[in-house]
Amino acid sequence: MMKRYFSTLWADIRRDWQLYLLLAPMLIWFAVFAYRPLAGLQIAFKDYSIFRGLEGSPWVGFDNFRELFANDLFIRSFWNTIILSGLGLFVAFPVPIILALMFNEIQNAAAKRWAQTIVYLPHFISAVIVAGIVITFLSPSTGVVNLVIRALGFEPIYFLTQPEWFRTIFIGSNIWKEAGFESIVYLAAIAGVSPTLYESARVDGASRWQMIWRITLPCILPTILIMLIIRIGNLVEVGFEYIILLYQPSTYATADVVSTFIYRTGLQGTQYDIATAAGLFNAVIAFVLVYTANRISRRLSSTSLW
Amino acid sequence: MNAQMRRNIVQTSRIFISLIALTSACQATTALAQEANYRASADPLELTVHYHFRDQYVYTQDWPVEQKAAELTNVRVRNVASSASTNSKDAFNLMITSGDLADIVGGLKDDFNRYGREGAFLPLDDLIAEHAPHIKAFFEAHPAFHNAAAGADGKLYYIPYIQDGTLSEGWFVRQDWLEKLGLETPETPEEVYAVLKAFREQDPNGNGQKDEVPYFSRNLGNTLRLMNLWDARVSGSATYGDFAVYDGELRHPWAEQNYKTAMSNLAQWYKEGLIDPEIFTRGPRAREYLLGNNLGGMTHDWFPSTSTYNVSLADTIEGFSFRPMLPPKTISGDRFEDARRQIVTAEGWGISVANEHPVETIKYFDFWFTELGRQMANFGVEGDTYTIVDGKPTFTEAVLTDSQPVNAQLWEIGAQVPRGYVMDYDYELQWSNEIALAGMQLYEACDCLKPDFMGVALTDNEKAVYDRYWPSILTYMQEMQQTWLLGAQDVDSTWDAYQSRLEQMGYGEVLDVMQTAYQRQYGADQ
Repeated sequence: MMKRYFSTLWADIRRDWQLYLLLAPMLIWFAVFAYRPLAGLQIAFKDYSIFRGLEGSPWVGFDNFRELFANDLFIRSFWNTIILSGLGLFVAFPVPIILALMFNEIQNAAAKRWAQTIVYLPHFISAVIVAGIVITFLSPSTGVVNLVIRALGFEPIYFLTQPEWFRTIFIGSNIWKEAGFESIVYLAAIAGVSPTLYESARVDGASRWQMIWRITLPCILPTILIMLIIRIGNLVEVGFEYIILLYQPSTYATADVVSTFIYRTGLQGTQYDIATAAGLFNAVIAFVLVYTANRISRRLSSTSLW
Repeated sequence: MNAQMRRNIVQTSRIFISLIALTSACQATTALAQEANYRASADPLELTVHYHFRDQYVYTQDWPVEQKAAELTNVRVRNVASSASTNSKDAFNLMITSGDLADIVGGLKDDFNRYGREGAFLPLDDLIAEHAPHIKAFFEAHPAFHNAAAGADGKLYYIPYIQDGTLSEGWFVRQDWLEKLGLETPETPEEVYAVLKAFREQDPNGNGQKDEVPYFSRNLGNTLRLMNLWDARVSGSATYGDFAVYDGELRHPWAEQNYKTAMSNLAQWYKEGLIDPEIFTRGPRAREYLLGNNLGGMTHDWFPSTSTYNVSLADTIEGFSFRPMLPPKTISGDRFEDARRQIVTAEGWGISVANEHPVETIKYFDFWFTELGRQMANFGVEGDTYTIVDGKPTFTEAVLTDSQPVNAQLWEIGAQVPRGYVMDYDYELQWSNEIALAGMQLYEACDCLKPDFMGVALTDNEKAVYDRYWPSILTYMQEMQQTWLLGAQDVDSTWDAYQSRLEQMGYGEVLDVMQTAYQRQYGADQ
């Protein structure tokens, strides 16, 4: 069985070697940056010292995890992560789909290209600069937002120090930054929809709205589902650099997420073992989420990652 | 003997005396340079050095100061740290993890003490006793400095960069605004309140808008410095949010009763607009922005750099005068300055276990503690950046008038870099402007600095307790601090909950280990 598998694989490789060559960089990337570091996960079960190294550091079983779960700041950061990405998923996920549908409806090619370029651009701005823009915009004394609020006769709000505003700001600015770029995938999917479907629909007298609902959306549904599964897998991952740039001790209550917790206790405090434990815990949760989402998707729509 | 003659004799003798003084000064310096015993090694020796510091510099053999030192000591260092790295701690950790230790390693105290006890760095005490007379003499003269630098086992694993002078920051106020509003320099909390209130309400910048920011700060340590007015302290050391010594007992200033009073009052001041509403997000350019736009009224900051605004803004803002003032008296009538310079810094260098020439290395380290070595570490290369005037190293005119600040020029040639050496305060005095000097004199005369908590070295078990509880407690303290100031929660009604929460989070346990370590380390001094 195994032998046959490898001999077919070898035959495949010889026949389509160009394709496999294209695949190689990705495989190497995974081997070097994803599989090899797996060995380092044992740090989570050790009292790790960077000088003694992996070999020399003693095993401590689940001590690091016990310590982690005894820390209510970690628990809080975990829930914050789930809430922040859950809300992000709920609010931000549909935006690029809607954007793609809208682009698709623009008839004037030049206008379409303009609009696309403008919404793609923020993606290429680094998080540091976006944070700077956000801080400036929301400044209570000179920020545009507060100038408007004041002009309307209300008290200015010091947004970045109020925990109840953090999620809105974080998710909102992320949509602005990424939605345009993420719409590319859906635009590509829409481009793949057969024009004959639209033609026959038009002959049958379907409106544009009906065509969007009955043709475009169902046709790109597999893409949407795959993107959704991937998004769910990243639910426990929130980019920490952007949060660190935006948060304040006074907004920790909603802004402190697992990755910033790891950064503060793990890297700044050089407790690599605790940080690894937190990272491993994160990964396990992510795996469970992806697995579940994939199962549900396969059962409901026969679309799945594997 | 007539008067004329007497005057002549007096004059000649004066000239004679100054001539003697001059020649002897000359002899002293030439003797200093020619002294042969700087040799750390009989044969030329090359040692690798890994010292990435302050996130942007590497210790390099290319510095003129280092080249001169190599000439004198016969020890040439060779940098092995990557200058591409932008994080010194990462660079250090990476080198330790790789197991490929350089002969000389630069870094931070906690790392030396931790990995020193694990065997990465040599304990230096015996080496110093046998081969480094100048370092030995220095620590014998200042045993407390040795205590402050040593690990929990009492051994020294690094030679620290030791600062000179104690003053760092002070209070500054817009003197011209005070005069304009007919106010005196504030001396009590009530007067500070009155001044800040007047800055806020009476339009001292005269633009017709209520845009003045009475109290501002550009860094974390000073955002809440006004708490001093209620006897509360921001930190017990130069490190932000550090423990402080209260009558021989170690406690954290943010768990004290006077902190509650201070926060409750500051929240009120903040509400009234006396403290920069954007104090937490304004960032490091706050001082430049608020002074440059004629908005800021009072701050607490470094003497030299804050004083320079008097010069740089003289042309743009009419009558601009931002002057140092003494710390106001507190509500209990005390007067103290909370910020100080850390004498024994955490920066320095040590000898790794991979070093095959520890004796030569410690002799090389010792060079920087000799008179000439210290001079070079502080002032650069004689004849190049400084000359000896009246027996004292003095910067050349070219250095003092260059468009770059003196310290930046020195960093480029390898002086004032955090190698293990003793700073000479005179270096800073020579290029501080008169306003800064006057301010520092004011504070010297006041003698109101709080004693410095120099830090403790924790044993493995103590460190484990500290690491388990402390980061979370500090996070919580900072969170509450901001929440209170911003008025999101009321101080008086939540104080008890705050205290019991601290206990619950392990504040007591941390205090226990800190106190034990403190007794062990400084017990003998008391």
